[in-house]
Amino acid sequence: MPRPTSFGRDTGLQLRMTLTMFLLGLLYVGLVVTMFYVGVNGAMIAIIAGGLALFQLFGSDKLALRAMGAREVTPQEAPELHAMIERLCVQADLPKPKIAVANTQMPNAFAIGRSPKSATVCATTGIMDLLTPAELEGVMAHELTHVQNRDVLVMTLASFFATIAAYIMQFGLFFGGGHSGDDDDNPSILVLFAVSFFVYVISFFLMQALSRYREFSADRGAALITGRPSALASALVKISGGMQRIPAKDLRAQGELAAFYIFPPGAGKALGSLFSTHPPMEKRIAALGRLESQLQGNAT
Amino acid sequence: MGFFDVITGRRKLKQPAPTDRVFAMSTAAVTLELELGLTSTGQAGIVFQPLATADFDGIVRDMEEVVRGTGDETGTTVKRQDDDFGYRWMVLSDPEFEDVVVGINAVSTALEAGGYGDRILCAVFAFRDEAAKPVYWIYNYKRGAFYPFVPSGGAQQRDNERELRLKAQIGTELPVEVELERWFPLWGIPI
Repeated sequence: MPRPTSFGRDTGLQLRMTLTMFLLGLLYVGLVVTMFYVGVNGAMIAIIAGGLALFQLFGSDKLALRAMGAREVTPQEAPELHAMIERLCVQADLPKPKIAVANTQMPNAFAIGRSPKSATVCATTGIMDLLTPAELEGVMAHELTHVQNRDVLVMTLASFFATIAAYIMQFGLFFGGGHSGDDDDNPSILVLFAVSFFVYVISFFLMQALSRYREFSADRGAALITGRPSALASALVKISGGMQRIPAKDLRAQGELAAFYIFPPGAGKALGSLFSTHPPMEKRIAALGRLESQLQGNAT
Repeated sequence: MGFFDVITGRRKLKQPAPTDRVFAMSTAAVTLELELGLTSTGQAGIVFQPLATADFDGIVRDMEEVVRGTGDETGTTVKRQDDDFGYRWMVLSDPEFEDVVVGINAVSTALEAGGYGDRILCAVFAFRDEAAKPVYWIYNYKRGAFYPFVPSGGAQQRDNERELRLKAQIGTELPVEVELERWFPLWGIPI
């Protein structure tokens, strides 16, 4: 029998990720129970939010690409990029995604699409100029891992109830003041608003944490696919330098898209780490360094 | 990939397909030559990702020695080549087509035994048609399936019609990749 593969498992990361998802689920169950308990039009809210989530899943691809000014490219237009991704796909056992290029100097890359078959991987011209082929390969493998892990689907589903909670809050802000006459319902409605607020705030932090864990696991997956953790680490150093050098003008379309960037726009600003969708670069590089030594340590 | 793998983002590289389906090429080559007019160039290559570790280097060195050793007996010559994408090719040539297939299998077996089976990308068998144009059969190790690849001259152009016809013509003699979106081209094949 062949020996086990070159990399060990990261059980800690998987545990943290599972725990985060469990907490999110628990939170959402609490919200749903409260909605039932109060008996308000929960069904309608669920339908509206469900519709929006579906739209996000099925319709947001093209919107996101357009917002980034990205255009799908043929193998003739970008032969190296296509050939590189084709080889990575063989290695990762993935069908080939659509490949797009955004004409901007901001060095970045992202992947969208709810399933591996409908995925699009996008790189900016900036990142292709900045990185060496091996580094770019690491970045593309990172994006392909997002596709393989179905991160768009996972994050959309994870945010589903957070969206509902947000609607209930908005609903409360609009109509909460007007109906002060009907005293019967008010206590339970107030409970619902309170719970929604609580769910919204907590789920925000949990989702950010989840997003960071997915980043770590995409880095890890990229290292697995390419077998070159250090190439991705050096790409991250270069990109983060480039991100800070170039003024953040072109960032109108961040928001939810930011979670799928290889490196978040505006990460140079001193944000509390709780608020960020991506782990700090030092931690990502340290994790990649551990992978590299695992790989080298295999020599014993 | 299971549900739990998606949830926890667990990643593992797929290992090569279990059976040695690459040997189907030995018999299929006869059909290719007699019925389809495709003659083997006597060359085949196997592509893998070279890892920059001492352990991997050692295993590759041992593997090369073994393949060269058997090559001395069978008359197979072995050439090593790195391509522009950082992948390594082992190119084997032998007028005896069966020896080429055996050699390719020896390379993959050695890498698998060393624990690096997941680094093997594919094997490429080179043929020429009556007009001496290149036709390749590519064996994807992870899928355990073959597919045809016919470059058609221009930049990154391939002759899809010819490829689909080849698939129909070869029938069940080769395990052919079912999903067309996994018929990945391989540009710059050195054979």
